[in-house]
Parts: sequence; structure tokens; C-alpha cells
Amino acid sequence: MPGRPLPVADDLSASFWAAAAEHRLVIARCFRCNELTHPPDLVCPHCHHTDPQFRFEPVSGSGTVCSWTVLHQSFLPGFDDDLPLLLVDVRLDEGDVRLIGRLLGGADAALRAGSRVTVTFEDLAPGVAIPAFALVPEA
Amino acid sequence: MTFKRDAVAVAGYAQSPIVRHFDRTLGAVALDTAKQAITDAGLRVDQIDGFTSSALFPTAGAHAMQDGVSMVTSNWLAEHLGVNPTYVSGFQGVGQLPGSVMLAVNAIASGAATHVLVHRALHNPAGSYHGNPMQEASGSNQWTAPQGFFGPLAMIGMTYNEYLQRYGACRESMAAVLVEARKNGARIPWSYWHDRPLTADEYLAAPLVSEPICRYDADIPVDGVACFVLTSAERARDLPNKPVYVRGFGMGAPTRRRLPLHWPLDDLYEVGTETARRLWTTSGLGPGDLDVPQLYDGFSPFVYFWLEVLGLCPVGEAHRLVKDGGIDSDSRTGLPVLSGGGALGNGRMHGVPQMLECYLQLSGRAGERQREKATVGLACHSSPHFGGAIVYGADV
Repeated sequence: MPGRPLPVADDLSASFWAAAAEHRLVIARCFRCNELTHPPDLVCPHCHHTDPQFRFEPVSGSGTVCSWTVLHQSFLPGFDDDLPLLLVDVRLDEGDVRLIGRLLGGADAALRAGSRVTVTFEDLAPGVAIPAFALVPEA
Repeated sequence: MTFKRDAVAVAGYAQSPIVRHFDRTLGAVALDTAKQAITDAGLRVDQIDGFTSSALFPTAGAHAMQDGVSMVTSNWLAEHLGVNPTYVSGFQGVGQLPGSVMLAVNAIASGAATHVLVHRALHNPAGSYHGNPMQEASGSNQWTAPQGFFGPLAMIGMTYNEYLQRYGACRESMAAVLVEARKNGARIPWSYWHDRPLTADEYLAAPLVSEPICRYDADIPVDGVACFVLTSAERARDLPNKPVYVRGFGMGAPTRRRLPLHWPLDDLYEVGTETARRLWTTSGLGPGDLDVPQLYDGFSPFVYFWLEVLGLCPVGEAHRLVKDGGIDSDSRTGLPVLSGGGALGNGRMHGVPQMLECYLQLSGRAGERQREKATVGLACHSSPHFGGAIVYGADV
């Protein structure tokens, strides 16, 4: 049985995946305009500098749910045993950085726009982990 | 910058049947459809000196891209018609049909070509349309595929749910969109859904694929080809059919970098509002002037988004408008935004049903479906923030 697709690191993403493997979330910051960008690009999407020399900085991993979808069918291999699969669209507290990942803990989680989440990681293979999220219990 | 309104016109068209699978190659059907469209415009093949299109095969799957089989480029079409055109171009962006029309308009208005054939050929491959056996997620896929966020159904599920949550809307309201699209598609002989309307109960009973999206919220993949012949307005007036002019256009592109297939609602409204402004600026018209507003509906939520960015209803209100019968094309007060059946009522023809309905109504060629007043039309394609639209006009 084929497993889930694994991320292939490249020159732009190597630092991100190396940190993820250690369960640390880092986001690219442009050396020139100091803005955060995800995913990193060849050019800074904020100041358009062609050599942004991104620094991958640790972020809190805390954020707010903007939206979510529950998948009942996957078009990729390796997910069938995990269906239904809940994916959340999260805005990180550090700014207009949006990540999409699984919300771990079941597809029937009580979610609303504005729910607070924190990053966690799914270990997919030795040395390969990807960001996911967990609900922060409401006070 | 002033757009040259009504300088270029649609002079004729042809469309193949829309079916799940042709029993011939896509290229063979495209050639026959092209010849029919040229004849329909009162022209000969050797008079066509321009070809524009988009050949995009909108699948997330790993299907082979083979010209003449799974897609048809303008170069392929010209070569196999035996034409050596003065101008050939393919549109690269999203909003493929309006983009291709604008390439034709530019070629004609500049004098680069005289008579331009615009075509769109869509293919439904054997097996799963979007299924992909990917094991290594590289390039842009690395950011989302390992999480399982992949393909357009997940994409639109996320955006549509953001809409439902923000505006307190519910899935039940969307039934009116599907019922309207399929009612009109059922009346159209060439539609895949001819004679097959859908009830609200059937819609709401369908299994969810990517919540809140169910299978009926997405258009069904089909084989189909449409061709339109464009020429200058002046020449069009000497041809057999009533000319339908290109009066204005609007295109848009997202300004913020996002994850692949991530369409936050705020991005969509921000850029979509600008797309709409461009439509009104170029055409000199406004939302109240549209007799035949044909909104894109490849996924049903696009109908809400276009209704709102175009100003046909306030932002956040489209779900109420459709639920209250506001898009019933048989009612005197309804906005006929899906009178041509759209993609949901015809099949995955990528903007063709919208353009064709504008052309048929404005040229007075809609037969039994002819609407009484039809001199201004709008044909939208894709999302308001990632696609485009054309305003069409006819002589009163």
C-alpha cells in the first residue's frame, strides 16, 4: 500500500523542513523589508526584492481558525484510513501568514471561525514531519 | 486608457454535443466543430487567419497531456485545418475563455488578424479526474499535499465554509442554485443534463465530498468543444448573423502569496471587486444594465461570489437572494444568472455555457429560450479574483 506523499525539500524550503523534523515551526522573514512570507518564494512578495535572504524564524505556532473543510474522499494515496479528514485554515498570530493542516483529534471537533489552535506535528517517516494543529481548550 | 468598445464582434459559433466520453478523439470533434462555426459565420476556412484559445486541462490528476487527444491547442487546430495563420496565441492565465476572447479582440483591433477562431476543447479522461498517485510532493505541492489538501474540491470547500461561517449561511440555500442550473440545463438539447432536472431534496441527499461541498456542487467532467468566430464589427455587419459586440472586459489576479489552492474569502472579495470595477469602466455600464448576466458556476459558491462582487446584491447576501427566488430566470423579477444552465446544468465546459448564452440571446438565436430583452450580456469565468469576464452588447 502506498503511503501519503512526502514533502521534497528544495533550496527554498530546506530550512523549513529541517525545523519541522524537530517539531519546530519556522517562517521565512525577508532581510530587507522584515515581512513574513509563507510559503517562501524566489522573490519577496512584499518588497519584491530578488534576493530576500530569508531567515527562518521560530514562531509561536498559535493561531486562529479562519475556515475548515472535512474531506470524505481523498484524491491522494495514503489517506483512506484517515477519512473523514479535518483540515483547518489557520492565521498565525504573527501576522497575515496562513497555514493549512490537519486538526488532530477527530473530524467532529467543535469548531467555529475564531477557534484558537496551536501547532503540532505529524511524523510521516523517519526525519519527516509536517505541521498540523490541535484545538486550544476555550477558557 | 480607453477600451475600444464594440470594435470586435462574435459572428458565428458551433458547439459539439456535451457527453461523458466522445466515441472519437477530441481533436477530430474540434476540427468538425471549427468548420461548422466558420460556415455558421458565413466564412470559408481559408478566410480564418487567427486562432486563440486556452488548452488547459483542469485536472489535478497525473493524466497525459497530449495535443489533439486530452487537449487541443490553437496551433494543432490551425495545422489540422490546413491553415497557415498570421496570428496564433494561447492564453496562460485563469479565466481561460474571457482571456482567449481578449487575445482575439487584440489581434483583430490591431490588424494582426482578420477573422479569428476562438475555441475551447474539454476532455474527460478515463478513470478518476483528479486522482493522483503522487508519492513525492515537490514544488508548490510540498506545502499542502502531505497534509491532504489537494485538488479543487478541497480548495472550494475551504472557501465556501469560510463564507457560510462569516455570513451565517447554510447549505440548504444553495439548493436553489442547483435547481435553477439544472432546470435550465434540462431544457437545452446539447446539455449533458438535458431532460434531467434536479430537485432540492436530491441535492441535499447527495454525499458530501469536501464539506460543505457535495458532488452536485461541482460540474460534471465531460467531453465537449465550442468554437466562436470573431471579426471586426464592421465586417460582422456584412455577415449573415446579427453581430454580438465585445463591449468591455475585466480580469483579475490575486495580489497576495498564498499556499497553493488557498483562496481566502478576503482575497476573493478584494480582487474580485476590482475585476468588477474594470468591467464597468471598460464597458461604461453597470450591474443594472445587464439583461443576460451569466455567472460562472463550475463550483456552486462562485455564483454567490460573482453576485456579490458585481453588485447584484450586497456582500454576504447572495445566499438569501437565491433562497428567496432571486435567480429564477422564469420569474419577471429574477436575475437570469443561470439562464444558459451554466456549468452545473451543462457539464464542465469552462466558461462556454456563459459565453454561448450571451451570444445566443444577444444575436436573437436562442430559439424557444429567447428572452424578450437581450441587448447586454455578461459572461464570467472562474473565480472573481482569479478569472475574468466579458461584457457583450448588441444593437438595440
